[in-house]
Amino acid sequence: MNPVIKIDGLSFGYEFGDSVLKDIYLEISPGEMVALVGQNGAGKTTLVKHLIGLLRPPAGKVRVADLDVANTRVSKLSRQVGYVFQNPDHQIFHDTVQAEVAFGLNNLGLPREEVEPRVTAALSDVGLEHLANENPQRLSRGQRQRVALASVLALRTPVIVLDEPTTGQDYQERKQIMALVEQLNKAGHTIVFITHDMSLVAHYASRVVVLCQGQIILDGDTREVFRQTDKLAESLLLPPQVTVLANQLNEPLNTSVSPVILSVDEMQEYLQRVREVKRNGAGD
Amino acid sequence: MTTSNNSLIQLNNFSYQYPHTANNALKSINLSLKKGSFVGFAGPTGAGKTTLIKSINGIVPHFEGGTFSGEVLLNGKAADTMSTAEIGRSVGTVLDDPEAQIICLDVEQELVFGMENYGVPPAEMEQRMQKALASVGIAHLLGRSTASLSGGQKQRLAIAAALAMLPEVLVLDEPTSELDPLGSEEVFRVLKQLHQEQGMTILVTEQKTDLLARYCDQLVILREGEMVLSGTPREVFQHPDIFELGVALPEVTELARRYYPQAEPPITLDEGVQFCRNVIQTFGG
Amino acid sequence: MARVIEYIYRDSIIHQLNPLSKLAWALGVMVLALTFNDPYYLLALLISVGLVGLTGRVMKDLSGVMKGLSIFALILVLLQVVFYHGAYREAVTLGIAMGLRMMTVVLSFLVFLSTTQYKDIILVLTEKMKLPYDYVFMFMTSLRFVPTFLNEAIQVGYAQQVRGCPIDSGNPWRKMKAYIAVALPLVLISLKKAERLAIAMETRGYGSNNRTYYKEPIISTLDYFVIFLVVVLIIGAIILRCKGLGVLH
Ligand SMILES: Nc1ncnc2c1ncn2[C@@H]1O[C@H](COP(=O)(O)OP(=O)(O)OP(=O)(O)O)[C@@H](O)[C@H]1O
Ligand SMILES: Nc1ncnc2c1ncn2[C@@H]1O[C@H](COP(=O)(O)OP(=O)(O)OP(=O)(O)O)[C@@H](O)[C@H]1O
Ligand SMILES: [Mg+2]
Ligand SMILES: [Mg+2]
Repeated sequence: MNPVIKIDGLSFGYEFGDSVLKDIYLEISPGEMVALVGQNGAGKTTLVKHLIGLLRPPAGKVRVADLDVANTRVSKLSRQVGYVFQNPDHQIFHDTVQAEVAFGLNNLGLPREEVEPRVTAALSDVGLEHLANENPQRLSRGQRQRVALASVLALRTPVIVLDEPTTGQDYQERKQIMALVEQLNKAGHTIVFITHDMSLVAHYASRVVVLCQGQIILDGDTREVFRQTDKLAESLLLPPQVTVLANQLNEPLNTSVSPVILSVDEMQEYLQRVREVKRNGAGD
Repeated sequence: MTTSNNSLIQLNNFSYQYPHTANNALKSINLSLKKGSFVGFAGPTGAGKTTLIKSINGIVPHFEGGTFSGEVLLNGKAADTMSTAEIGRSVGTVLDDPEAQIICLDVEQELVFGMENYGVPPAEMEQRMQKALASVGIAHLLGRSTASLSGGQKQRLAIAAALAMLPEVLVLDEPTSELDPLGSEEVFRVLKQLHQEQGMTILVTEQKTDLLARYCDQLVILREGEMVLSGTPREVFQHPDIFELGVALPEVTELARRYYPQAEPPITLDEGVQFCRNVIQTFGG
Repeated sequence: MARVIEYIYRDSIIHQLNPLSKLAWALGVMVLALTFNDPYYLLALLISVGLVGLTGRVMKDLSGVMKGLSIFALILVLLQVVFYHGAYREAVTLGIAMGLRMMTVVLSFLVFLSTTQYKDIILVLTEKMKLPYDYVFMFMTSLRFVPTFLNEAIQVGYAQQVRGCPIDSGNPWRKMKAYIAVALPLVLISLKKAERLAIAMETRGYGSNNRTYYKEPIISTLDYFVIFLVVVLIIGAIILRCKGLGVLH
């Protein structure tokens, strides 16, 4: 299948600054769910801004949904790519939550009777239906984050780029948001999300791209990436706590490679198997 | 009202309502903190964490308006009778939105802003500045313009600016929300160090409960403006209703609770390793 | 990002000058610009200001603003031509002089502001000129409101585009409509930002007494030279003017 995002040797530096992206190659196929991780200042936001045209790549270097970002207007790209800013306050400018969410839908030219139910649905998806008529400036930061999210998810664009979508959310809210994103992914949307929360990465991403000082140093299946503890340490990242726990336990099973544990469920299963191995061993 | 003399921060039946709203954002909060406490606050979005922080540093009600009942006492003195700048001399603040809190155009200026206002001798500023920057890992950003920093770098700067002021009390509102995992750890390590070495009192709201578990002496869970749980992290994580409250348990704690819902759970990685070894022993042998 | 009257961090000799001498220079340029109305004199003055800007390595950043200004200057010339009662040639000359004068004065202040940090300006105005700190800070902060507002406008523009609002489409009517739609919220957001800034400032003790200053800008020999030069130029200009040079009637 043709990649929906294709970055072909992209380098970038802000004016009068050091180089921030160094020779990036990245292809993402339709329907993938990719986590983009890396330490503060690694260049994650800078990279994804090139996907929506907020930063202009040189011609031919970045293609999204068969459009060359270099010469496509942002407003046109936005029909293919939804983008949630890292800071919700960069996105919100209306004086009611409802109007904020309706804005993009109206720009799609949808008839009024279609916009309203979609706004309602988007708000209830993120658990904000009771705040529809509030002024976003009077919501808590985490609530504003979800307003920003709803205003983009409502657009149902083929590609969705989320820059730290769960900032300031508690455990259940994080799960709610990511379940929503996962549902969109299952329905065929391509997702790229940036996060510092490695448990979210472990739970929801099928592929992880690790950015370190402007370079992609790891890119692959989530489990394989979390296996590379040395490389991760080099970019100052830590795998989820259970992953580290299983590593430190260092209890081999009968398999040749030691397993990479990504969730509490898997850990429980793993402990079960270790016990069985021990019991059988004792019985010999 | 009776005030115990040795509490540094005391909230007595404090309720607060933002202007033009129907509900109280804080409902009858009673909290008494001694000098040298290290307290974490957690809870879902809209629970009132930020409002509580802002009641302690005087932003509520000075800037927000609204109505309150009960009182907030700092060193026995009612907070609403002091100006925010007066409170700021002893209470340092890190707000939840780093971008909204950066005042100056370059990193150096941002760091000295508070120190200059409170009359720190110039000779001392340099050293405090270097230390604060290094402790949050952004020494290399000195000389940069604040507008050109990444989200996480801005947050680190906001924390450094508060640290450099060496306040008696430090209140931090989700200071690690945009930080990478090691950066978050680093921030809490610095807080712990200030707490231990200088007896600094620290109040921090935070969603990363595994950090709170390891660094705080007391953990408070807020929900819909009320304090619903309070105790040592271990006590809180052991509470039967903890899952309903939306609090993320450290993964090792969650694992242990699946085996022994009632027992005292491990809360750190090392304890988790020990726990797993025991599980394997108990069932495997 | 729009960089209008904002400090631009560069390593240059102009940046290192004391704010006081730069302020003296900018005021001197203003005096000179008002003294003469001969377009050749004014053009020479504008070029000299441009050279200072180049030495300060900020001209590239200011080029956008200057482009806007020259359009404005052109309009000034046209207005002169249309409304001036007198000889056509005279009107054009006067119009050009006015346009040049405006560009010269504005550019000199832009160079001053973009090569000097706010805190240094504040320091000089309060410590050396003994103006009250509160007023100076308020003045500087309100100056900063302009770039804040412009940055906010740009940010809202991005927020509109990424959700499909065609303000980048080149169709001026659509553009206009999109701008008008956000004009009011933009003002409200900027005010909110200003309030947040005030809160942040106060929690860090802004307005307390007994403040100290981290670094005091030094006055070097070069500064004395610049101030001396400005004084000489002004005196020279007044002499020329009295002799009737550089002035058209
Ligand atoms: N406008 C700018 N001008 C100059 N440098 C910039 C600008 N924006 C970002 N940078 C620098 O580019 C680098 C990458 O920034 P970017 O925002 O992409 O990081 P990030 O990976 O998203 O980090 P974070 O996790 O903190 O959000 C950082 O070192 C940052 O300081
Ligand atoms: N300026 C305001 N005006 C009116 N209501 C407000 C204002 N700020 C917050 N609120 C409301 O007060 C309640 C508590 O908000 P607060 O910001 O304290 O929550 P929080 O626990 O900090 O949430 P978060 O985790 O999202 O930061 C929320 O319901 C919020 O909508
Ligand atoms: Mg970022
Ligand atoms: Mg908050």
